[in-house]
Amino acid sequence: MLQLEISDLITAVDPHTGHRLPVRRSEVIRQLRATGDERAARIVARLPTDEDGVLDPDAVDRLLVLVHTELQRLSEELRMGERLVHVLGPLFTAIRATTGQAGPYRLVDVGCGLGYLVRRLAATEALGKDVELVGVDLDAALVGEADRLARADGLDCRFVHGNAFALPEAATVYVSTGVLHHFRGPALEEFFQAQAASPALAFCHFDIATNRLAPVGAWVFHRARMRHPLGRHDGVVSALRAHGDETLLRAASAPGIRALLYEPRSVANPFCTALRPVVGVRPHLEAPLRRALGRAARRLVGPEHFAVGTR
Amino acid sequence: MRPAALLALLGLVDAAFSGFRAYAGRDARIRKQRAIARAALRGLAVGAVALLAPVLAASCLLLATPDPARTYAALTAGAIGYLLPLAGYAVVVLLSLAAYFWLPFRAGTLAMVVGLGPLTLLRPLAVAAACTGAVLNGGGGRSLLVGVVAGAAVLCVGPAVHRRWYSTVQ
Repeated sequence: MLQLEISDLITAVDPHTGHRLPVRRSEVIRQLRATGDERAARIVARLPTDEDGVLDPDAVDRLLVLVHTELQRLSEELRMGERLVHVLGPLFTAIRATTGQAGPYRLVDVGCGLGYLVRRLAATEALGKDVELVGVDLDAALVGEADRLARADGLDCRFVHGNAFALPEAATVYVSTGVLHHFRGPALEEFFQAQAASPALAFCHFDIATNRLAPVGAWVFHRARMRHPLGRHDGVVSALRAHGDETLLRAASAPGIRALLYEPRSVANPFCTALRPVVGVRPHLEAPLRRALGRAARRLVGPEHFAVGTR
Repeated sequence: MRPAALLALLGLVDAAFSGFRAYAGRDARIRKQRAIARAALRGLAVGAVALLAPVLAASCLLLATPDPARTYAALTAGAIGYLLPLAGYAVVVLLSLAAYFWLPFRAGTLAMVVGLGPLTLLRPLAVAAACTGAVLNGGGGRSLLVGVVAGAAVLCVGPAVHRRWYSTVQ
């Protein structure tokens, strides 16, 4: 049975109101034991509860902030900021060329956590001053911490607690890192369909590249770099739960969207590509995007690449 | 005693890196160069104190022995044997660091995934290899004792700095 991430289970919010819901520790432990993950159950058993067995929300918030702070170190070391700009820079060049508008454009980071990428983009101004940077997350504690960090560095970006697809202003481009594997079954297609149905021109979602080495690499890295057992556990489970290239392309092929994969397994060295993005663009944007990418466009493939491979 | 000086230098450099590692993952700000430098200096300071332990151990051995010249020679041979595995480890770390900082991001990822990440986990093994080298090079039990003390001191720097300054999110 597919293992579960602890961080997905110890918090819950009402999807309509965004309000936090109580989580019973015994229920989380039962779910983890049902998947045979005794180690994860032991980690959760150490979390504090009130007299009714409900997980202490403040302790959970502190833990998630701590684990996400450790997780940011991995993003820094894997140079996720540069990877994102490597794709998003040409994408915004293509958008500017095709819309003919001076902006402003809006980049929305879905499930931004501590907002590392939004804050890094704000600090480096790598996408240009005409791109407004917004991070959105359903977890109020993470959004609050992201906002505090942005203010500490004096950065021009903002963070919103809520649903990224229910913002009052439309996004030009949706991005995320390490979020896709949290969506299972129909929820993955619904995630992409929500973006296709929005006025957004493109999306670019990075997630763990699947190959046989990924779980081993994830174990080594999380063992070496993360201290809390929850972070170590979820890091390895994330690699096990990551979607394959073809699954992502199939799910992302929503009406009105040309789904592409940058650096899929067949054209990339797995040691150099720990995370790779699925990119979706409005069809008229594909040619300008390929021109803006230059030689790197050969690493951008569509579903037809896999159709040829399976013949 | 040149090997001892080189070992002390290696130990201090490692202590500075240990200070950085103790801090890394505790501060999510983007602009944190000064905090990184401060963490490295804290590691260096703790390492300088910790490395007094093997100095003290070697001094005690020399003072207690009836034949200081022979003990000194054994310790020198042990230090050379101790140094060789650590020097090899240090060269690989430095090459990985150079690749990480100066090559494009894909090669940088490679340096991190294949080099720097696993190398962090291998630090205790590098110390064990150094202790073995000390014995194999003719250092004997006395060199092994000093080597174990030095290795324990070096490996304790990171946890000590982390516990003292970085146990919570900054």
